[in-house]
Parts: sequence; structure tokens; C-alpha cells
Amino acid sequence: MIRARGVRFAFPGRTVLEDVTIDIEESLTTVIVGRSGIGKSVFLKCITGLLRPQAGSITIDGEEVVGASKPRILAIRRRIGMLFQEGALFDSMTVYENVAFPLVYHKLASAREIDRRVMAYLDLVGLREYARATPQELSGGMKRKVAVARAMILEPRYLLYDEPTAGLDPSSSAVVESMIRRLQRERAITSLVVTHDIDLTKYIADHIALMEDGRISAHAAREEAFAEASAIYEHFIENRERIRAENGSQG
Amino acid sequence: MFAGLHLPRSGAFILDTAGASSLLSGASMSRPSSEAAREWRHAGASTASMYANFFFWLFREPFPTRQLGQQFVRVILDGFGILAVAGIVEGAMFAWLAGWYGTKFSVINWSGAASLYLLLSAATTLIGAMMFAAKLGTAFTVEIGSMQMSGQLDALRLMAVEPTQYIVIPRVLASILSFPLLKAISDVCAIAAAILLSRLWFDISVPVFLQHAQLVLKHTILTTSYIRCALHAFFISVNACGLGFYFEGGAIELGRTTTKSVVINLICVLIIDTVYGVMDSVFGWSTL
Repeated sequence: MIRARGVRFAFPGRTVLEDVTIDIEESLTTVIVGRSGIGKSVFLKCITGLLRPQAGSITIDGEEVVGASKPRILAIRRRIGMLFQEGALFDSMTVYENVAFPLVYHKLASAREIDRRVMAYLDLVGLREYARATPQELSGGMKRKVAVARAMILEPRYLLYDEPTAGLDPSSSAVVESMIRRLQRERAITSLVVTHDIDLTKYIADHIALMEDGRISAHAAREEAFAEASAIYEHFIENRERIRAENGSQG
Repeated sequence: MFAGLHLPRSGAFILDTAGASSLLSGASMSRPSSEAAREWRHAGASTASMYANFFFWLFREPFPTRQLGQQFVRVILDGFGILAVAGIVEGAMFAWLAGWYGTKFSVINWSGAASLYLLLSAATTLIGAMMFAAKLGTAFTVEIGSMQMSGQLDALRLMAVEPTQYIVIPRVLASILSFPLLKAISDVCAIAAAILLSRLWFDISVPVFLQHAQLVLKHTILTTSYIRCALHAFFISVNACGLGFYFEGGAIELGRTTTKSVVINLICVLIIDTVYGVMDSVFGWSTL
């Protein structure tokens, strides 16, 4: 389980996370929603130790991440896969080499085993025939699918997704959504997704948390979250409908 | 340039984004100043942090042997053309100057010795280092900077791979190993050009040219010039990698950072050459 307590993070002159407290349940998909620039991605980076909070505690399977030594953090990261916003594929490598990279670098398997696993994960994301392509030859959606395959290759306990559908066309978004859902259902991976995509949230979320003003202001199970009275529903649905109505009447 | 920069105590300089952003952001700089001054402080802090990071990770497992090999071949291939051309131009230029003054002062037979001494002891090293900074240094800054911009360095960290080990150390070591080799290629081109020009322009025969050159050239001159090359390569590559590694911003900032990489490295080359030259004359390394 990932557990965050009172996490505070500030860039010089700007506080991003004020007091974030949340539990990410095992084998479920938790989606953190909130408007752009609210600090969702920063929170993911704090969880993975890429950013160090000024206060608070983040534990992964009971191990403290905040203030952990570099070797300890490297060990913790082996349990985590992360999908970055743009995929962050290594553009000097082919799709195959990108996916194989963690296994090859850490010498975790024989060449034959690496080949088997890479092709299996490329099959899983439906990109087997693109194994020899370079990232420049792929669309945005394909890049993210390759990034998911790369994140999955070490078979992590936790998968973190940073805006997995941002900037994608609706059909590519749908493909990525289905893949996230399938991975979660088939492999029971604990997933944490940060997004402001309502459709994605509706489709994949088991739990939904709302981030506002540097805090988790609401956190509920999916059904509860989308019930009319909830803060999340209000934030996500009503605000959107109200703004649309206002803009429509002005138009 | 480094005023206000407080590097943390040992261990804390193993900078990932966490440490770097707070260290380099300017928050630790006590004095408010213009954006340009802030950028220069950031550049200074970036290179200083990279020196610490480099030595911290250099002796830790796993050693990036494969990447070192790849980078060595790449640096040789990238640097070969420009250093060969620079060698030819330098050789012709110095031979012509030496020949012209040799004719004027009636010591034309010594012009070969003079030109080769200047070329091998100073010129090919200094100009070669400048070419190296312009060609390879900028390439390192842009490559690593764009990796930082696109999240590739963070992706490496997430895969429990330390980017300093995987990206920086191979480039720095490959530079240290390959630049003396490139200087040797540049030397050969310079000598060939000097001999050719002396023969064609001043009618100095090749045996006379080489005979006088042998009298003044000592192996210590060559040895110290190659040591100087390795020193240049180390500072140039660490500076360039550091500027890319701790890069913040977008395309415009990357352009400015690349310009800084050239400027910082050219100044660095001149300083190293001056300091080395002074120490050489004090301790007499070249005349041992």
C-alpha cells in the first residue's frame, strides 16, 4: 500500500502541495483528479522519490520514501512502474530496446528470456509489429503504450500514470483507457492515475480523490464519488456543465 | 559566480531532480539579481554539482563498460573530421609564419623546428580543445538537456538507473580517452601540412626540416601536451554534461544553455592552458 501523510512540497516562492494525505488501496485503481497545475504530477514525483517533500511522510509497503538514502530509493523504485506524460521513451533506441532496457541494464534475465518477455509485453499492448521502429515513427498513443510495456517489464507492484491520455485524440485515448483497465483487471496491479480527463476517470477508477488547494479535499469509492451530492461530482461534472451553460448563454 | 552556492554535505550531492531543483533554483542564492545573472549562477552550480556527482558515482557499480565503448567510438568519429582539418590549417599557418620569419632573419632551415615546436607543444592542443568544446561539448549539452526536458532522465531514475552512471560517466571517460587520440591525428595532419608547405613555398627539403625538428623536439613535450589534452577533455565534458543534466526550461533556454556551454568551456580551456603553461615553466615538465 502507498500511504501519504501531510505531504508538503514547495518550489521556491510557490507552495504546490500543502498537506496531502491519502491511502492508495492494494490491487485497485485510484484516480486523483484536479485542474491542471494543481500539483498532481508533483505528488507522483514525490511518491517515486524524484522530488523530496519538505514535510510529511510517504510509505510504500511500510518503507519510508521521504529522506530515504539513494540506494534505498533505487530499491523501492524497482517495485514501481511509471508512465510519464509524453512517454519519455529513449529516442536513441528502438521500441524493442526501450522495453528491454531495464532487464538488460540490470542483467535480470538471459537474452532468450528477455526476448520472450519483451515480445509478450509488446503483444499485450498490441505493438509487436513495431518492435524495430524508433519512437519518432510512432504516434502519441503508441508511444504511451510502449511506455506502459516498458513500465510493466519489471512486473512492478505499483503502476503510476501521469496524465495518460493528455493530448491524445479520442480513439487513441480509448485505446489507452482500455489498456489501463485490462492491465488492472488481469494483473491486479495497484494503479495510481492522475488526470483531469473525466471519461478516463469514469472508465478506470475504483477510487477517486479530488486534489484542491494542495490537499486531497475528497476521496471516495467510484459509486460514491459520482453520486450527485459528492464534492468530486460537483467539481467534475457540475462545474463543467455550468461553465458550458454560461459560455453558451454568452455566445 | 559561485557566491551564495551552498553544496550540501557529503552524500547529499547525489543529486536527482529533488536535490537539484532546490539547490539550483536560486532559492539558496542569497542575493536577488537579474534573470541573466541567475542563469549564470545556475550554470555555475550545475557544473559544480556535476563534478561532485561524477566522482561520487565513478567508483560505484555497475560500471558502464558498454556505454563507454559506444561513446568512445562516437567521440572519435564525431571529432575526427574537424580536428584533422584544424591540424592541416594550423600546420600550414605555423609553417608559413616560421618560414617567413626564418627567411627574414636568415634562419630558414630552423623554420621546421620552430613550427613543429609551436604546433606540438601548444597549438594543436589549444585549438584542438576549442574545437572539441565546440563540437562535442555542445553535443553533450544538447543531448542531455533534451533528455532532461523530455523526462528521459527521470524515466531512467524510475528504472533504478542512475543517469550520472549511465549517461555522464561514459561520455566523460570516452572524452578523456579519445581526445589524446584525436590530438595525435591532428598532429599528424599538422606535421604533414607543415612539411608540404615548407617544401613548396620555402623550398626546405624534408630531411632538413625533420633533422632540425628532431633537435628541438623532446618526448616530454609530446607527453605533457597529451596529458593536457586529457585534462581539457575532462573539464570540457563534465561542464557540458552538467549544464545539460541540470537544465531547466524549454527550447529557448536549451539554446541559451548550449551557448553557455561553449563560452564556459572556451574560458575553461584558456584558463587550464595558462595554468598548465605556468606550472610547466615553473616545474620544467617539458624539459625533463
